[in-house]
Amino acid sequence: MTDQATRAAFEAERNRTRGTAESTAPVILSIKDVSVQYKTPFGWMTAVRKSSMDIRRGEAVALIGESGSGKSTLGFALLRMLPRAARVNNGSAMFTDNEGKTYDLFSMSDKEFRDFRWSKCAMTFQAAQNVLNPVMRVSNIFYETAKAHGWNDRKAVREKTLDLFKKVQLDPRRVFDAYPHELSGGMRQRVSIALSLLLDPDLLILDEPTTALDIITQRAIIDVVKSLREQLDFTMIFISHDLSLAAELADRVATMYAGEIVEYGPVRDVFYEPEHPYTVGLLNAVPPITGEEFTPLVAIPGATPNLLSIPSGCPFHPRCPFATEICVNVNPPLEEVGGTHYVACHHHDQVTRDQEVWEGMEATVAAG
Amino acid sequence: MLQDRTVQPETDATIDRGEPIMRLDHLRRDFASRNGDITAVDNVSFDLYKGDILCLVGESGSGKTTVARMAAGLLKPTRGKVYFEGKDIYEMSKKEFGEYRRAVQIIHQDPYASLNPIHTVGDMLRAPLLKHKICRNRAEATKRASELLELVDCRPVENFIDKYPHQLSGGQRQRISIARAMTLNPRVIVADESVSMVDVSIRVSLLNTMLKLRNELGVTFLFITHDLSVVKYFAWEGNIGVMYVGKVVEYGRTPGVIGRSMHPYTRALAAAIPEADPDLTRSKEKLQLRSLDIPQLTELPDGCVFHPRCPYWVQGLCDVKMPPLVRVAEDREVACHVVQAIVERGGNPRDLEVTDQLANELMRK
Repeated sequence: MTDQATRAAFEAERNRTRGTAESTAPVILSIKDVSVQYKTPFGWMTAVRKSSMDIRRGEAVALIGESGSGKSTLGFALLRMLPRAARVNNGSAMFTDNEGKTYDLFSMSDKEFRDFRWSKCAMTFQAAQNVLNPVMRVSNIFYETAKAHGWNDRKAVREKTLDLFKKVQLDPRRVFDAYPHELSGGMRQRVSIALSLLLDPDLLILDEPTTALDIITQRAIIDVVKSLREQLDFTMIFISHDLSLAAELADRVATMYAGEIVEYGPVRDVFYEPEHPYTVGLLNAVPPITGEEFTPLVAIPGATPNLLSIPSGCPFHPRCPFATEICVNVNPPLEEVGGTHYVACHHHDQVTRDQEVWEGMEATVAAG
Repeated sequence: MLQDRTVQPETDATIDRGEPIMRLDHLRRDFASRNGDITAVDNVSFDLYKGDILCLVGESGSGKTTVARMAAGLLKPTRGKVYFEGKDIYEMSKKEFGEYRRAVQIIHQDPYASLNPIHTVGDMLRAPLLKHKICRNRAEATKRASELLELVDCRPVENFIDKYPHQLSGGQRQRISIARAMTLNPRVIVADESVSMVDVSIRVSLLNTMLKLRNELGVTFLFITHDLSVVKYFAWEGNIGVMYVGKVVEYGRTPGVIGRSMHPYTRALAAAIPEADPDLTRSKEKLQLRSLDIPQLTELPDGCVFHPRCPYWVQGLCDVKMPPLVRVAEDREVACHVVQAIVERGGNPRDLEVTDQLANELMRK
């Protein structure tokens, strides 16, 4: 296919799905200056620092980052599912449902939050087998979930469940009365997605939805999520270390590094005109797979920082080929660089994908 | 583009196509399970030459790790032979077998599990050097350990040699695993998903370190992974064997297998992979399989193991007769009736299309 044809196909695809990059839909979730800390024997460790973003209704937003970037911590914080040793020590998250009612996620009472969670905002987890109670039949897991939210009409729950199974391409006869261990990993992940949609949430958070699944199963999950978004009305945040998943599913992409959102923008801006050196580094490290040309790859020099001793200034500066003195001293804020594209970098206008710049850097930093 | 890379020398410059250093000959391995015996690997043969890179690619349950363990002498094949430098490893004298085990080293997937947490990096590297009398005393061993750390790009060495594993990052630990595998000057390294647990930004430099061992020291690699992008980078100069439920379905030089894959399973894999490019990935042509599920090893289908999922299958042939792995082009072997038939008729195996006429002809055969 020619480039033009490819672009046209993509535009068509994007117009078909709601929540395009230039979406003007109302903001469903507004996160402001959120910080999350974990208690460790060495003191409080900050896993998410001063993160802000607005998510509009109907959008699919990808949180991308490597281990320790804070992406999952942020996701869990939104649903107040952090472990006991963690606390949200700063910031706010305001959620506005489809009827226009606003919820303050961090100051609601536990009881209010129990009603809110799952009915307004649900989540699927990386290890689907750990979510599904191994001693309950799938059908009972659905009944119990509905009951916990005051929905006692078993017949209606059953109907809704079977409808969701059809939407996630599961065979209801095989799955409905099965125990979780009787299902394959891909099937369990789809059951878990169906379960998260049981109460018609406005927002769905998917944590590493395809990690640890085989390639063809991964593809099935991606296709299911795509078709669900066409059929149902929900906003989506998904957390992944896999850039290609973001390329495939997201309208907007947020890159996280050492607990901070360092770049946030429409998917094509972030992939084709990345302005944060870390995003550039990640893109240089993942090759296109199809095609007969060899693509040289460049690693990001060094290793991700220990969160107990985050470098001064911009946390990425020790690994960054564009860093200057100001980067060592001042942590750049997330600033608009055009349209709805935000970047936290002092030198964002100099950032290039030129591999020589990166290879020169690699030689001077200790290997990760 | 290719010539620019120092880590990617000209084809065959480093591969010695004389006598293979290792030969896997019709390997089969059965395991007992509660539901009867299962065959994890069947009829797998490969030749590895000095300086070669062979990647085995496949999904979970494809048998790639079982092949790796048989090649490393950790698992005895139920049938078939493993030859190292022309000798059957199970007919070697004790001394010869010891030499073979030293010459073939493994790097495991999980650097958190494979390094002993109570030993320092220096201890871990010195122990094999002293035990196998490569170094005569501790000072000499420390010197050699430092050289090995240099070799795997753990610089400056002083920052690593007295560290415990928990003080290192995942990528650094995996470098220590590589250094430890190199202590006995191996000829072959079996790397089983060695970069799967490492973050993307560090993965490339680890692969570069391993390529350096191959390019500068002539180490031969048997590399196991499920990740085609890793294969494409690491084995560009080598070969890929695609495995599916214990069998090799396609084998050939890496650029061809990835860029012009022929077996329907390889093509399904290549089509299913999302790419880190929004336009490319969203317009990629998909290959719809007939079923999502990999068959259970306890109840393998008759005929071609892939036929219950294959969109091109021919009824009466693919579900009856198992296709052998056959050379269909220079540097390419494929186990598929349909691909073989199209090649025999002078067609292009990339245009897989089963016309009624072809189906009828195949059925009559």
